[in-house]
Amino acid sequence: MANIRDIKNRIESVKNTRQITNAMKMVAAAKLQKSQANIIKARPYADHIAQMLMTIKHKKNQADSRIFDDAAKAGKRALIVVTADRGLCGSFNSLIIKQAVEYLKQHPKSEVICIGKKGYDVLKKRPGLVIKEKYLGLFNEMNFAASAEIAQFIKNIFFQWEYDVIDVVYNHFKSIMQQIITVKALFPIPDLVESEGISVLDFIYEPSMDEVVAELSNKYINVEIWRIMLESSASEQGARMTAMDSATDNASELIESLTLNYNMVRQAAITKEIIEIASGAEALS
Amino acid sequence: MADPIIELRVILPHKSVFDGTCDHVIIPGIDGDFGVSAGHTPFMTVIRPGIMEIFTGEDVTKYALHDGFVSVENSKVTIVCETIEKADEIDRERAEAAKKRAEKRIREKLEDTDFRRAEIALKKALIRLEI
Repeated sequence: MANIRDIKNRIESVKNTRQITNAMKMVAAAKLQKSQANIIKARPYADHIAQMLMTIKHKKNQADSRIFDDAAKAGKRALIVVTADRGLCGSFNSLIIKQAVEYLKQHPKSEVICIGKKGYDVLKKRPGLVIKEKYLGLFNEMNFAASAEIAQFIKNIFFQWEYDVIDVVYNHFKSIMQQIITVKALFPIPDLVESEGISVLDFIYEPSMDEVVAELSNKYINVEIWRIMLESSASEQGARMTAMDSATDNASELIESLTLNYNMVRQAAITKEIIEIASGAEALS
Repeated sequence: MADPIIELRVILPHKSVFDGTCDHVIIPGIDGDFGVSAGHTPFMTVIRPGIMEIFTGEDVTKYALHDGFVSVENSKVTIVCETIEKADEIDRERAEAAKKRAEKRIREKLEDTDFRRAEIALKKALIRLEI
């Protein structure tokens, strides 16, 4: 049977761990709220751009712009993999990486752009995989300027004909308990809105339709990357919250059973001592 | 014209700056400044760096715009942009300093100077000072 002091030490250490996991849960909850608020704020902006872009797409002869051309699905592909920079968030990172690997099996010649350290750490070990670019440590200080830099890079590689298709795999935030792994097309730009959202008005474009499309798609990619990063960050914090919540529960359970054990061992020791004293006294009399 | 006022929305990725009605608005379009009143024809254009003026009754509110996109649908005007500054929130000293910095960078013509960026910085500073 374990030593009383050992058990006591263990209870202390589990209590410390519980305190840490509980604190992490609180921090995650606060960060989650911030990301969630930002997602909601970005929505009207993104929706309007999507609407205008789709309005033009439907006016135009669809195939004459490379950014809308769904037919060119055969060309060279890039996949943007969005993971977290840190662990301790359940299966958040591993599921994304699994999905990315699945994608790479389907499209073996794809190259990868990593956002987030965890995905990069795993994917860089994959033989033969080209990692075009990596962005690490962005989720600590999330701001639009940082995401705009990534967006600029993505636009550059697309418009310089390095890739024909650019997809992104990330966690879409549904709720704290639920994150949906999503593979989404960035380029060519897919149909974004239902047909009711498309304006039937006959617009005048200045200076030209093409320039308007260029500016809109530019803004669209900026806000899309921003939104994806917010979604991923919210999902990460949500996953961490649930993971840390169950860790805290487990620690509490462990403490309970250890305390029970401790009491039993202590009681056994006392009983043993009493027996010793009693039998000693008996022997004397 | 049914309604002589227009609905104006100015939205940024992280907030909405203006969401209301006004009588008239002047926007710096890429091919020149243009005014929108009620009943304007459907219209889309790109914004060039400049000054936007919103007229409501007797009041005029000025904003410095640096980039963006405008659409006019019926009497709904929507501006989406990434940066905007209200006239009375602009820090003139900072703008002056930025202007000098940009001018210096353009003048010195150092090898690693990004001219396009310096020029944009200069333009931004000039608009901030002009308003």
